[in-house]
Amino acid sequence: MSGVQLDGIIKRYGAVQVVHGVDLNVAEKEFVVLVGPSGCGKSTTLRMIAGLEEISDGEVTIDGRMVNRVAPKDRDVAMVFQNYALYPHLNVADNIAFGLRIRRESKEVIASSIDEVAGILGLTDYLDRRPADLSGGQRQRVAMGRAIVRRPKVFLFDEPLSNLDAKLRTQMRAEIKRLHNRLGVTSIYVTHDQVEAMTLADRIVVMHDGRIEQVGTPMELFMNPVNTFVASFLGSPPMNQVTAKVEKVGSDFVGVFAGNRLPLARLGDLEARVGQDVVVGIRPEYVTPATDGVKDQVRIELDLVETLGSEALLHAMLADAPFVIKADTTTAASKLSDVTGFTIAPELIRIFDGETDLALAGQDRPA
Amino acid sequence: MSDASHIKPATKTAPISRGARIVDVLKRDWQLYVMLLPTIIWLLLFLYKPMYGLQIAFKDYSVFRGIANSPWVGFEHFETLFNNDQFIRAIRNTVVISFWSLLIGFPVPILLALLFNEVLNQKFKKTTQTIVYLPHFISSVIIAGIVIAAFAPSAGIVNTAIRALGGDAIYFLTKPEWFRPIFIGTGIWQEAGFQSIVYLAAIAGVSPTLYESAVVDGASRWQMMWKITIPSILPTIIIMLIIRIGNILEVSFEMIILLYQPATYETADVVNTFIYRQGLQGGQYDLAAAAGLFNAVMAFTLVMAANALSKRYSRTSLW
Repeated sequence: MSGVQLDGIIKRYGAVQVVHGVDLNVAEKEFVVLVGPSGCGKSTTLRMIAGLEEISDGEVTIDGRMVNRVAPKDRDVAMVFQNYALYPHLNVADNIAFGLRIRRESKEVIASSIDEVAGILGLTDYLDRRPADLSGGQRQRVAMGRAIVRRPKVFLFDEPLSNLDAKLRTQMRAEIKRLHNRLGVTSIYVTHDQVEAMTLADRIVVMHDGRIEQVGTPMELFMNPVNTFVASFLGSPPMNQVTAKVEKVGSDFVGVFAGNRLPLARLGDLEARVGQDVVVGIRPEYVTPATDGVKDQVRIELDLVETLGSEALLHAMLADAPFVIKADTTTAASKLSDVTGFTIAPELIRIFDGETDLALAGQDRPA
Repeated sequence: MSDASHIKPATKTAPISRGARIVDVLKRDWQLYVMLLPTIIWLLLFLYKPMYGLQIAFKDYSVFRGIANSPWVGFEHFETLFNNDQFIRAIRNTVVISFWSLLIGFPVPILLALLFNEVLNQKFKKTTQTIVYLPHFISSVIIAGIVIAAFAPSAGIVNTAIRALGGDAIYFLTKPEWFRPIFIGTGIWQEAGFQSIVYLAAIAGVSPTLYESAVVDGASRWQMMWKITIPSILPTIIIMLIIRIGNILEVSFEMIILLYQPATYETADVVNTFIYRQGLQGGQYDLAAAAGLFNAVMAFTLVMAANALSKRYSRTSLW
């Protein structure tokens, strides 16, 4: 079982603690993405797994063996770095073979390994070139080649696509996913890009301030964020959040804010919050834009329409806070500037406690 | 249907002249050029204007007639020089001292930088760095004084040690065979530490992720030094080597003047000390100018050749 287990790992730099007891189980062959804003401790966690940072407390187990005091080279992990970490004085073949030569593999093994990896990554025609003569995407492939040539138990990726342009990033993302499907090696991938996390991960780990906020499949996290941080971090554009006062009308609940009355789902947890503030989370893609005349719409002040092609982003203000709607342009492109509000089904609204920012119980939807 | 006939084809704008481009650049970056001006003036005054005087290498120069009125003598001074055993000896000494200085002295700063890079204790690192940089800031006269005192036959530390070990005192500074080792050793002691700064800066520029990647691959510190650090600073090493080759005939003139004596001329007299004796002490300015011109042409040829070779084999060059 070449899985990775983190048990309460802590990282301190002097008196400053940057990772606060992270617990995580990565199963064999699983692709787990650590995602979070800059400074959330995701790269530090990855570097502790690689052995590049000392673990202040807790345990890291790889393939059933505790590796806290094991040198990086003996952990059987391979790492791909953000800036590729290619040796500028070596050509592609020698870069790929570097780890094998260090481990004194035979010439035959090295040659066949280079051929195999170059074939997998489409680098056969570039083996004699130096990194300076390669494009960003090719360099990234060489970096991955250097990692996979050793056939490690675990791949560690530290924001490997951050230096690429948007188009290449999309292309390389797919290549990484294909490679994982083909090789089936346990992979831990760090990124701050939630799109990368959503598209690549079997499971996503959202980190914030050195702690794990939530772990789950991409759709679980998208549909059922446990708190407002996860809700605002995953999704593009992120989930809109509006503070509303809960009122009960008969057996139904409504959220009241800025003169609007938004029907809410019948949650048991809302009963105790009648008269209190909650945070109402509304995904931009779940709302239906409304124009004048539509009944029971929540009124917005439309500010800007950004057309993206098949869809558009309507930027508006609601209760003195920015509010974004994602709309389909194929049906009513010319009407988008006439939008005056929106409607939304109560079950698509995510409700969070006004004080703790935690999602109320009983509203999870199947992912 | 729209009529496109009235649309004018895009007119080609006239290419901007080179002069206009230069004016544009000067206008845009005038502050930079103002800062550059003192250096250009210095170069013109102290390096280019004196070149006018080079012509005395081809003239029978007289201080009273001046440069312009002294008669031309063609290559007479060069013939005199190459028929002069002392000059031939000076060339031989220059080449031998430079060769050994280069061979032994050039790698020392690189080794020092690599060693400093491996020192993990910052306090120890800074202390040792200060100690090895220090001799560079001491005047050559004091350095020569220290060397003379250290190798003095009666109370010098070296001879004291030799006597303590049962040997006889050696008159190091009067023996031709000892001059070169002492001179080259002194040069290394004085400059190696300071020269290592360039290599330390180059090492500091190597991306730390290269080392991290190598650590994950299983490289030892020794392997990292050979496979990452040295190849990464190789362009700097080559540039420094080219510069050093360009200065190969510029043997530390002051130090030789301070350390040599007639008894050691056989191995110590170099082209620059020959020029000094002929020109300033002997008053043969034209002959000294010819020797100096020969020196400069040789240095220029060497640096051109080194640069061309480096460009061809290592992709690194000064220009």
